[in-house]
This record gives sequence, C-alpha cells and structure tokens, in this order.
Amino acid sequence: MSVIVKRARAAAALASDRTAEEYAPARYEARTITKSFGGANALTGASVTIEPGEIHTLVGENGAGKSTMLKVMAGIHPQDSGDLVLNGTHLRGLTPRTAIGHGIYLVPQEPSLMLTLSALENLFVGIIPRGSMAFSVDWKAMESSAGAYFQQVGLHIDPWAPASQLSIAEQQLLECARALAHRCNVIFFDEPTSPLTAREADVLFELMRRLRERNFTIAFISHRLEEVLAISDRITVLRDSRVVAHFDNPKQTSHRQLVEAMVGHEIAVRQRRQRDLSGAEAVLELKDLGAPDGAFADISFMARRGEVLGLAGLVGSGRTETAESVFGMRRASGTVLLAGKPYAHRSPSSSIESGLIYLPEDRGHNGVFANVEVVRNITAAFVPHLPKRGQLLHPRAEVEVAEKAARRTRVVAPSLDVPMKALSGGNQQRAMFARWLLAEPKVAIFDEPTRGVDVGAKVDIYGIIDTISDSGVAVVMISSELEELVLLCDRVLAIYEGRIVGEVTGDEITLERLGAMVVGGGASERD
Amino acid sequence: MSVVAETQHVVRRRRFDTDDRWMISLVVLLVAELLYFNFGISTFWGGGWGTSYSFLGYGESFLFTSMIALGVMFVIFTGDIDLSVGYMAAFAGIMMAEFHIGGMNIWIATVLSIALCAVIGLIQGLVITYFKLESLLVTLAGGFILNSAAVAWEGPVPPYGFPHSYDSALGSGDISGTIQIPNQLIVFAVLAVIATLVVHRTRFGRQLVLVGHNRQAAAYAGVRVSATRVKAFVLSATFSAVAGMCIAANYGTARDDLAPTLLLTAITCVVLGGVDIFGGGGRVPGVIIATFVMGWLAPGLLQDNVNDTWATLIAPGTLLLAALTIKGIVDRRQGVSFRAKTLARFGPGSPTSAHADAGDAPGTGAT
Repeated sequence: MSVIVKRARAAAALASDRTAEEYAPARYEARTITKSFGGANALTGASVTIEPGEIHTLVGENGAGKSTMLKVMAGIHPQDSGDLVLNGTHLRGLTPRTAIGHGIYLVPQEPSLMLTLSALENLFVGIIPRGSMAFSVDWKAMESSAGAYFQQVGLHIDPWAPASQLSIAEQQLLECARALAHRCNVIFFDEPTSPLTAREADVLFELMRRLRERNFTIAFISHRLEEVLAISDRITVLRDSRVVAHFDNPKQTSHRQLVEAMVGHEIAVRQRRQRDLSGAEAVLELKDLGAPDGAFADISFMARRGEVLGLAGLVGSGRTETAESVFGMRRASGTVLLAGKPYAHRSPSSSIESGLIYLPEDRGHNGVFANVEVVRNITAAFVPHLPKRGQLLHPRAEVEVAEKAARRTRVVAPSLDVPMKALSGGNQQRAMFARWLLAEPKVAIFDEPTRGVDVGAKVDIYGIIDTISDSGVAVVMISSELEELVLLCDRVLAIYEGRIVGEVTGDEITLERLGAMVVGGGASERD
Repeated sequence: MSVVAETQHVVRRRRFDTDDRWMISLVVLLVAELLYFNFGISTFWGGGWGTSYSFLGYGESFLFTSMIALGVMFVIFTGDIDLSVGYMAAFAGIMMAEFHIGGMNIWIATVLSIALCAVIGLIQGLVITYFKLESLLVTLAGGFILNSAAVAWEGPVPPYGFPHSYDSALGSGDISGTIQIPNQLIVFAVLAVIATLVVHRTRFGRQLVLVGHNRQAAAYAGVRVSATRVKAFVLSATFSAVAGMCIAANYGTARDDLAPTLLLTAITCVVLGGVDIFGGGGRVPGVIIATFVMGWLAPGLLQDNVNDTWATLIAPGTLLLAALTIKGIVDRRQGVSFRAKTLARFGPGSPTSAHADAGDAPGTGAT
C-alpha cells in the first residue's frame, strides 16, 4: 500500500506543471558586483537587475565580464564583493546547488550534460525519484513525467537515448527542460546560439518567448547583435568589467549604437570591395571530391589567386568536412590540384609545406594549446622551420619570429610568455592567424574565423583577410555569418547537404540570396 | 581597451612559471634531505667526500631507475604511458647475458640488445598508434610478454659471469680523483643531458610536448602525431635497455625480479619531477632532481635506522602523494582541475575517443 502511495506521490510531484508558478515572480538583482581572477578584474562594481517577464541581454566584447556576471549570479563563481538580491532577500554563499534551490539555473555555453547517460537521467539528475526499495530508482515516475518537460521545451527525442546522440541544439533544449524539472524560474543562457544554425536558434528564441509569457526571469548573452536586438526587452552593455550602458528599448536601438557602446568609440562602416579576378590563375582546384561516409559528394570548384571565396552552408552541411579533406585531415575520393599540380596523399604537414593552410573551426579543441605559451602556440605549425643554432633550437630567435607575426595580427597580451588560456577569445584567434601567416600560405582556408571573437578582433581579422588576399593568397572562407561573407567575398559557393547548390559573384552576393541558398533553395544554377 | 593599447604588445622577461617554481621546490627538498641526513647520520657522508662510501656511491642502488625514469618520461610527455619499461630492462639484461654466454663479445652483445629493445619499443608504438589502442593496455601486455620471454630464456639459473671490466665499467666502478664519481653517474649524466636537450631544444622535442598538450590541435598544426608518439616509445625502450645493462653489470647477473619495482619507482620520479601524467607539462631537469630526491631517500632513511618497509615503500609513497596534492592545489588555482584534465583525456571528444580519429588521418601516421 505504502509503496503505491509513494510512487503515486512521486509521479504527481514530477508531472506537475507548476514550475514557475511555484515561485513568486522573481526580480533578481546583482548589486555592485566585483570579481577578480588572479589579479585581473572580471567585474568591477557591476550591477544588473533582471525583472520577471523580461528577456534581459548582456552584450560586450570578449572578456568584458558578461559570462562572469551570469556565473556569479548562478553561484558558479563567488563574488569578491557586492550583493545578490532575489525578491528582496540577500543570497549569501551561493553555490550552483543552492542557486537551483532558489530557482536559478544557468544553461552554460557548452551543455554540461553527462553524455553517456540517457536524456531521462540527465533531466532528473540531482532529483531522481526513489523507488520502492532502498537504492532503487522509480523509472516509471521519471518516464511518465519527462514527456511533459520535453513538450514544454519542444524537444522530440527518445528519453532513453544517450545525451551524446543529441545535437548541440537538442542538448541545449534538454538543459532548459532540466531547469524546468528542477522548478527553476530564473533561467540564464550563456551564449547559447553561437553553435546553432539560424533555424535552431529560432526554436530556442521561440522557447525563450514562451517562458517570458509565463513570467520567467530570463538573462541572455549573445554576440549576434541582430538577434539581440530582435529578442531582448532590455540590453545591458559591459566593457572592461564595468556596466557602461543600458538600452531599455531595443526596438529603437540600432546595431551601430550597440557596437559603439561595446567598443567605446565610433566605428567605421566597412564597404564591400569591388574587384575583378576572373583572369587570375586558379591555385586550388577540387574535382569531384567525395567523402567515404557521404558527408559530401561531387564537390568541384576552384579558387583563384588573390580571391576571397566564400563557402556558405549550415553547420553539418559538409563544408568543414570538405575543407578538412583538402587539408589532409580526412580521407576523400576525387582530385585536388594545387597550383595546377595534382595533390594526392594529402596530410596536414605536407599541406603546410606546400602553402595550403587550414584554420580549424573548433578553436578550443583543434586550434590552441591552452596551457602552452603564446609564443609556442604561434610557432606550432612552424616547428620544422624554427631557427636553430648548431643542432639546437634558438629560443630567442623563436621569440623574435613569433613577436613579428603577433605584431602583424595585432595580438594583445601582457607577454607572449603567458599561457594561451590567459588570452581572450579574440586574441587567441589573432594568435592563430599569426600561426598560419608564419606558414606563408598560398591558399588559406579559414573555417569560421570570427566565431566567438569580439567586434575589435573581427575588424582585425577582416583586415588580415583583405591584406593577404591583396598579396595574392587565395582565401577560402567558411562562415555561418552570412553578413561577413557578403562583406568580404568576391565569390560565394553554397553547400547544402554535402553538395554545392549555387554560386554567386560580385553584386549578386546579398544576404537574401545567401540565406535562400544555404537552405537549399532559390539558388542560381551554376554554369 | 583603447585603440592604442590594441596595437601594442610587450614581450616581458619571463617570470617564474609553475614549472620553474616546482623545480625550485624540488631543489630545496633535495638540499633539505641531504642536510638532514648529513646532520642526522654520521655515516651518511661515509668517510667524507673522497672515499668510495661517499653519498655519490649510493647512486649504484638507484641510478638505473633514474635512467628508466628518463625513458618513460618521453612517453608520459606525449600523454601515453609505458608500463613495460621495468620488464624491458630485465629482458635487455638477460638478452645481453645470453648473447655473451653464447660467445658474443660483451660490448657487441650490449649494443645489439639495446638495438633490439628499441625495435620492440617501435613495435609497441606502432601497435598502439596504428590500431588506436590504449598505451596503458598494450604496454601492460608487452610487459607480460617480455617478462615471460625473459624467464623462459634464462632458464632455472639467471645468467652471470661477465668480464670484470664490464662490471666495473657499467656497474660498481668509478673514476677516482678528489671525488670518486661512479661510472653509472657518468652514464646517467650523459643520458640526462641528451634527454634535456632533446625535449627542450629540438624540433622533435617541441612536437613531443605539443602532442602531449593537445593531440588534436597538434595534428591540425601539421605535427605527425603518430610518428612522434612512436618515437617516444622507441626512446623509452632504448633508455630502459641501457638501464638493464647497468643492472646486469652492477649485480654481476641479469635479474628479472627487479622489474615491477623499477617501473613504479620510475613513474614516481617522473611525476614527482613535475611532468604532467596527462602529457605536455613539465621539465626534464625536474625529473632529474626528483630521481635524486627519491634515490637518496631510501638509503638515507635506512642508515637512519628507519624500518625497512618505511624507507623503501611508505616514505616514497607519502612523498609522491604529498607532491601530487600540492600540485593539484596549484593547478586548481591556475584553473586547471584534475577532473577537467581527466575529461579532456578520456572523456567524449578527447584524443582517445572515437571522435578524434581525424587526428590520425592518413598521412599523419607514422608511415
């Protein structure tokens, strides 16, 4: 008898749809928060108030303190000074666990799910209902109530599927469902959209809007200013660890106003370059490249000397796989011609030797050596040519080489001897460009070169691409940000589901055109 | 940050980083140890600097372990592990002894055995990288095979009877002078200098360290990841084989019973020396100092009438645990947690998981 009662109670508790309503609408205030990491101030007297029923967006360049602010408010980092006040109550000694107890949940930048466990277990981790016997789990109660949460966030998955099988977008939605299952009504999203495609981001925004209607308290971080302006009710701008501006009416705010608040000075508006490169020789040519696993097929195109060729496509469209096959990180059938000569048996080392370089998309995993000095990060692809004295490496000469490259790409660092992880995302990417410029490329493939970098670094990176293409390097640029393809490219190819579906040149390159092409429609046929 | 600041950057003189501080601590520890034994035990310095009983003479009991530590260090730098080193040393000694008993000149037998062990190391490395197996398991299996082969080869009686000149040259002999320097110390010094220069001042060494820090990123930077890892296994086997020769010469017989102790002590020295067990971080001189800290600890404590078990097992274990705890705290302060490293190494998306296959794609292989 008691077993049945217990189970029924557990099921009822789990299935209840009283998540946000269990709490009073939450007004969450962070007052003059200061936080430093090893001497460097991440936040200096920064205050933010998030009202119930609003989507409050924090923007700023990398390292401005946005993520730190949300992490302090979610109990992940303890603040050095300042107060956290939830509905008039001071929260002291907040930890992630007690934060959830107060109804505060942070959906982190990288979903922090336990990838080998099922979606179901991830959903209820920490509040798994006990079964009838000691140490047993009430799977039935979990399963019967999970559906409600999945439905609320619009997630259609098998609850028993391991989290590793979910896409990044689904993992994020699962994180949201977890927040709901834990009865949270203050939900923070730390840069959720950077790994998402436009369509997936729309799903997430739709969910955020629904939560707003239910009077949830929502904070959001993003680098994509268009979406910030579209979804936010209020915007707080951080710069150099301080709050520098508020925008209470995003609908009346322009992209430019926002950027100028972020960087602290006026910015020049970039113009498209008009160049005719139809006569230039082809330095890279792909003929019928295909992946053994079918990630892409029949890829044929060429890139001319000095040209900036865009590869537009959704995440998973096969653009990265194509680039990695050319560079030699993956096997592929078909032919690659480099400066007119067939290039078989491709490998990264021989590619670099012959002047073909590839800037990987995932900087954190495939680009930087986080614990290695900036110098050695810059020279990492240059090791076979490092200066030697006798039989041994010449460290001082190496530093000079790295310094010169760092100056070209405007790396800002306290010293080039600090570990790479001490640099902001933008400066890490500048250092990555320094690495690849050292290789003196003839063909440069840049995969999402501006992902996760601040506005200042973006401008610098565009400048580098302009400069090297003017000096005759063929640049192949892969990007999800169609705006930058429009700004930079002489020609753009669209890849959809592993095939090239369209090509536009010069003034035909418009946002509308590219937007239609990357989802497989509205393309002009290639000649 | 203003525009002006964005255009400038400074390369300041290098400050002491974590690795430097770790090495300084080790030196302090070594000096403290020697001072303690100096004042605590009248016999520790023997009859003074000039006699064969000076503290340098204790080297005979641990320098071969130090050589193995230097060898396995290469592998640990790449983020792999080599559990076969102790058995490799034992096997090398028995191989040399059997060749010698079979009539071969002992020096030719020595060189040949070291070369053959290098080949065994090469095979282990190729198996690990080509089939993408965990080095821990492959070298564990390799160690078992080498041990069985050694025991089977030597028969009931371990081979012995090397020329006196050989025992003296690689074993108990020393260079007389104001200070008597054991020959083994010379051999170790040569290996130590080679190891330091190879890791810190050659292109191969740079690639070794980069592979250890982030295998994926190294592959994308054009480092031949598999080739680098295989070379580390070859070096490990070679250094172990040299140590095996010193053991045989020192005891006058090839021994197969020392292997497990050699392995564990060697790995302890590497870790105590500050090399990151997950690969990448650390300095060779740190390992060299750590081998002396460890080496003098047991004989010193034994002289101090400390119980045998304490001196040889518990004290080194405690030292290692204390060192690791301190290192863990330092790392955490720097924002690198043990958990994060474990996840990076073994978790999803790590260099060892299936996602990382691209890192060893065609051409990045050893072939």
